Amino acid sequence: MPFPYKGYAGYYLEVDLTKGNLYKREMEKEWARRYLGGTGIAAQILWERTGPQTEPLSPENVLVAATGPLTGVMFSPSGRMMFASRGPLTGIWAESHVGGFFGPEMKYAGFDVVIIHGRSSKPVYLYLCDGKAELRNASDLWGRETDTTIQMIREEHKDPSIETAVIGPAGENQVLFGCISVDAHRSAGRTGLGAVMGFKNLKGIVASGSFGLEAYNTEAYLKANEQETAKLKDPLWKESIASLKDYGTTGLVTMINEIGRLPTKNHWTGFYEEAEQIGPEAISRGYRIAEEACYGCSIGCKYVYRIKEGRFAIGPVGGPEYETIMAFGSNCLNSNLQSILYLGTRCDRLGMDTISCGKTIGFAMELWEKGILTSKDTGGLDLTWGNVDSMVKLVEMISKKEGIGAILSQGTRLAAEKIGGDAATYAIHSKGLEASGQDPRAHQSVGLTYATNVRGADHLRSLSSLEELGYPDVIIKRFGKDKFKEIMKITSPIHKGEVIKDIEDLYALVDSAVICKYGTMWPPVYYFDTFVNVIPPLTGMAEWGDPRIVREAAERICHLRRAYNHRLGITRKQETLPKRLLSDPMPTGPAKGGFPQLDYMLDEYYKFRGCDTKTGLPKKETLIRLDMGPVAKELEARKMLAPAQSA
Amino acid sequence: MSNILVIDLGLCTGCRNCELACSQKHTSTFNPRRSRIQVLKDESRNVILPLVCLHCEVPLCAGACPTSAIIKDDAGTLVVDTKKCVGCSDCVTACVYGGVVLDPMTQRAIKCDLCSGDPACVKACQYGAITMLPRELRGLRGRYEGTKRVLQSYLLIEEGT
Repeated sequence: MPFPYKGYAGYYLEVDLTKGNLYKREMEKEWARRYLGGTGIAAQILWERTGPQTEPLSPENVLVAATGPLTGVMFSPSGRMMFASRGPLTGIWAESHVGGFFGPEMKYAGFDVVIIHGRSSKPVYLYLCDGKAELRNASDLWGRETDTTIQMIREEHKDPSIETAVIGPAGENQVLFGCISVDAHRSAGRTGLGAVMGFKNLKGIVASGSFGLEAYNTEAYLKANEQETAKLKDPLWKESIASLKDYGTTGLVTMINEIGRLPTKNHWTGFYEEAEQIGPEAISRGYRIAEEACYGCSIGCKYVYRIKEGRFAIGPVGGPEYETIMAFGSNCLNSNLQSILYLGTRCDRLGMDTISCGKTIGFAMELWEKGILTSKDTGGLDLTWGNVDSMVKLVEMISKKEGIGAILSQGTRLAAEKIGGDAATYAIHSKGLEASGQDPRAHQSVGLTYATNVRGADHLRSLSSLEELGYPDVIIKRFGKDKFKEIMKITSPIHKGEVIKDIEDLYALVDSAVICKYGTMWPPVYYFDTFVNVIPPLTGMAEWGDPRIVREAAERICHLRRAYNHRLGITRKQETLPKRLLSDPMPTGPAKGGFPQLDYMLDEYYKFRGCDTKTGLPKKETLIRLDMGPVAKELEARKMLAPAQSA
Repeated sequence: MSNILVIDLGLCTGCRNCELACSQKHTSTFNPRRSRIQVLKDESRNVILPLVCLHCEVPLCAGACPTSAIIKDDAGTLVVDTKKCVGCSDCVTACVYGGVVLDPMTQRAIKCDLCSGDPACVKACQYGAITMLPRELRGLRGRYEGTKRVLQSYLLIEEGT
């Protein structure tokens, strides 16, 4: 039976790089029904095809590029897609999402999902066009920075509509936090998927297409779509949306510093005294020249900046996000705004995750301060806090794996192992992924988010803005009146297990649909009912009109990704925080004295997640309820299922 | 008095929702290649340029058409008579503004028909960058003002003017 659902392109592509073979296949009905798209489908594919035996940097590892039904169909926002693989930086489940225009173009070119395995003997890139796919020679592109690569590809095809997802020199050199750069200035940054492409000799995936996407019931879909996107216009969100429009995510620098959650000095504290100098107003006044938006997005958080003159002259080019400003700014005690913008753009062009890169440099600076790294180790580079010259050099060295850059290119966890001594104390990561720009000592639930996030310490799988920014009505609606008071307290661990489980479920759908965290995380507009309203008329999957089915799908996706990690040995023991964030009370700032009560929150989270609280492993009945019998069976065989007698 | 679309490039964010709305209205699919308005980008110069028919008073496309398929309708809007169009793409070549393209599905010329007076792109633009104005001084001036950003990007006029 042909793939019955609308809103999808209807096909996926298998790429065997070793043999150079391409197979176009009809989409699997069950993928859509059970997982919707994006992260859900990727989880199923990686669960089936990779595992403990798969080395992340090996021909056997699989890279998935996946869109979802809401990609490219006029939903605001509808420009997103994702990549997933077994991660080279962390060794576990790795995924990274990105906006822009590539995802929709992939669908217009005729493919919802691309599955890549093997390793090419020479550099190639994958070209998708109008239902056809081709591997093309990328020898000329190899070694080029991302911006040059894109120009060359556009010129080669004489096609201004072509959209690209490429790696830069960092990915080619298998820097473990090499990223995938999408169109001119967006990145699937985290977890080092650029290194997977680099290992596979795959310079990029490019798409151009004239295939249209249809809705199952156009009129009903457009109506549902309009109802949902109209919610963004509710006066309740006016301030948040205006901030995103005016400043993008840079607005967060001020907001987050005010609550003492801005990682400063390699996460030593959460308050940066010079935050104003690297904040939204300074960027807006001095360098911002235009607003941009991803496909169909009415928020438009992206901005373009330019530094006209001086040693950091650069642009016009896409402006760094909050996380980049944190990573190269407060995190390294660097208040030189021009240098932060410049370093962000250098990372984009070299194809490196700005968070991991900045965090690893901050880590090195602390080792320097503590005398663990000396000028003998750094080849004469002075790594004093805020030394801009050294930071500029270090970014280039990391991308080329030169000198100390070779060690740092492996991220904080592996670098600390190599350096030895006390270095591991200053490696701020969970499960190998450098912490992003939050601090659990100022915001309890962030601790739980970091610890349980399937890809490591970052915010994007379950960060809750509900208590941070205070959305009382939303909290009452979602969790009830009696829990409202405690949930609103940013420093209280109570009910946070329930909240984070709920939000993780929600984001699992957001990441499968695939839509953006803006409009879901901040401001918290779209919720499960959005999918109930929009998915059936778009796809024709009538069962998605049942809220229970939608919730179950969300839980199933979460459990499948967790199972992927359990199979690799992850249990409650690894779902933790680095010591600094767990038990060193916040030393300064508005959140002074705070630290997360992680165990309390974990107990509650596992309970709501249907897991054993002692091990964090799923209970059999949970997986059976979610129709995941085969997953339960495999985990059981590996002794990674909760013991039957456990409470 | 006929109408024209006026686009303020200073407000356009390049989100391309206009393309999706246009293709939805005209083809019932989401397909930017079949849209009558198409956004051209050159990020390295910070150029985002939606291209759409200007509804010229002396239309080069109509003059180039061997079958006289491009005609003015009752409202004075230039439209393509798809029955007459043979898909030779002479009009595409003739139009120096990128206002006409060939529909990749039908291989016939497509261009903005102002949605018979209620343009889908105007409604879809969340940034208020597209408006429909009568072809009089106000509309023409609006169209000129709207192009400042791109003229600055190519250094044709100075910044701040």
